[in-house]
Amino acid sequence: MRPPSREEDELTTPAGPAASGPRILAVTEATRVVATLVRSDDRLRDLWVEGEVGRVTISTAGHAYFTLKDEKSQLQCVWFRDERIRSAFQPQTGLRVVAHGHVDYYEPQGALQLYVETLQPSGVGDLAIRFEQLKARLQSEGLFEAARKRSLPARPATIAVITSPTGAVWKDVCHVLARRWPLARVVLVACQVQGEGSVQSIVGAFRRLERHVEALRHEGRGGEAPAVTILARGGGSMEDLWSFNDERVVRAIVGHPLPVVCGIGHEVDVTLADFAADVRAPTPSAAAELVVPDQAELAASLARGAERMHGAAARGLRSAALDVAAERRLLDQLHPAARLAASRERAGDLLERATRAVRVRMTDRRRADERLAERLPGLVAGRLAVAGGSLSTAAASLAALGPGATLERGYAIVRRRVDGAVVRDPAEAADGSPLLIRVARGEFPARAGDGRQPT
Amino acid sequence: MTDPTDPPIERLTFDEALAELQRTVAELEAGGQPLERSIALYERGVALHERCARLLAEAELKVQQLVTRAGGALTAIDVRPEDAREAE
Repeated sequence: MRPPSREEDELTTPAGPAASGPRILAVTEATRVVATLVRSDDRLRDLWVEGEVGRVTISTAGHAYFTLKDEKSQLQCVWFRDERIRSAFQPQTGLRVVAHGHVDYYEPQGALQLYVETLQPSGVGDLAIRFEQLKARLQSEGLFEAARKRSLPARPATIAVITSPTGAVWKDVCHVLARRWPLARVVLVACQVQGEGSVQSIVGAFRRLERHVEALRHEGRGGEAPAVTILARGGGSMEDLWSFNDERVVRAIVGHPLPVVCGIGHEVDVTLADFAADVRAPTPSAAAELVVPDQAELAASLARGAERMHGAAARGLRSAALDVAAERRLLDQLHPAARLAASRERAGDLLERATRAVRVRMTDRRRADERLAERLPGLVAGRLAVAGGSLSTAAASLAALGPGATLERGYAIVRRRVDGAVVRDPAEAADGSPLLIRVARGEFPARAGDGRQPT
Repeated sequence: MTDPTDPPIERLTFDEALAELQRTVAELEAGGQPLERSIALYERGVALHERCARLLAEAELKVQQLVTRAGGALTAIDVRPEDAREAE
């Protein structure tokens, strides 16, 4: 800290030893005395002042200048633009207000003024006290217990909204629901959300909705009844939102048969209705978001399900393809060469188509963007249907071409006993060597030769 | 090749189609069924997935307002959001 200058020292201690007679001060010196005194008093650094607003002027820069007065005195106030525009409440002549800020002396104009930081209507303090008292009483009754909060249905087919149809809230809620969960039905139960009679109107809306749900259930159409209720209201002053701190509204929420989601005011506004609700949302739009799933998320989870299904089907096909391939290897050993070649080509072709179908689908899937992912299963279904059909055809034709049918017609398969090789040429069976002869219904041993001389 | 007792997919609600799709995926993943059966399951699964996706894509939020009829009965009537009436 800068040590006080000699001059200041003298000025702040006018009765000091240096004073040797009346000294004439410059205006700046005099105002500095005042300023220094004002700034040295802690009470003026942070104070709340209640009074009536006198004349208000707003400068071109956006600062508000006004007086606060009571029966005996008045105090100049300035409220700078940056602080002022953040407040929903504005000074008006004749209003009783409570201003919060600090007092300073503005030397260039010789003005002692209150620099306002926040301004609110008088009586807010009373509201805050009533709020806390009612909250404590209802809390002690257990109305805000976490244990009595109901969970929300995962995908409600019908959603009730208690709010005012005028203003943005109702449209915002519709907009969010249409975007996130267009499969839903939304039913407005209109009410008045501020002013005289709004408490009765809100409670009345709950009652009408309850009668409606009851009537539908009575007619056996309970499935058409809303599964969740949103209570919503846009932002406003504490007075505007006051109906939502009313005990009757709190009790209507607690007694409502459907789970209630409250979206009242802005994030910072907390009402007793919020405490009573099963779920508190920071805003009306957030309430709408909370009650329904997001169709984009669900579509993604559907696509994941479809992928798992593709994977499982592909594995099934692969193992079927392996089975067919094993059959084909057996045929290779047992079937007359010419027909085998043809059948192999055919079976091979079918298998290849089946495999290709699976592979194409896998590649496609990797490439798929979100849009494609929706169409893809259809394309794949077509391909796999072809592949599935092909495999059944392959299996049938393999059965027809198999050795069984041929042997049944009287043919035999001759193999060498030593190595099991099929004998296609008499030269492959040495005279007297043991053979196995397979006919349609069994196999018997034999020997090559029978007197014939080897060529 | 689907089971003839399966309800037609076109009549399923979103929730029904989704629940069946989830069962189908689980069954396919468990494996062990003959090829014909797994292909039938797969085809039905794909159709169920398409049904869900289409219902989502084609859906349009239905907007209604609860109003009191003469005589006091309550009915939900279709409204456009901007045409909703003031509180009764």
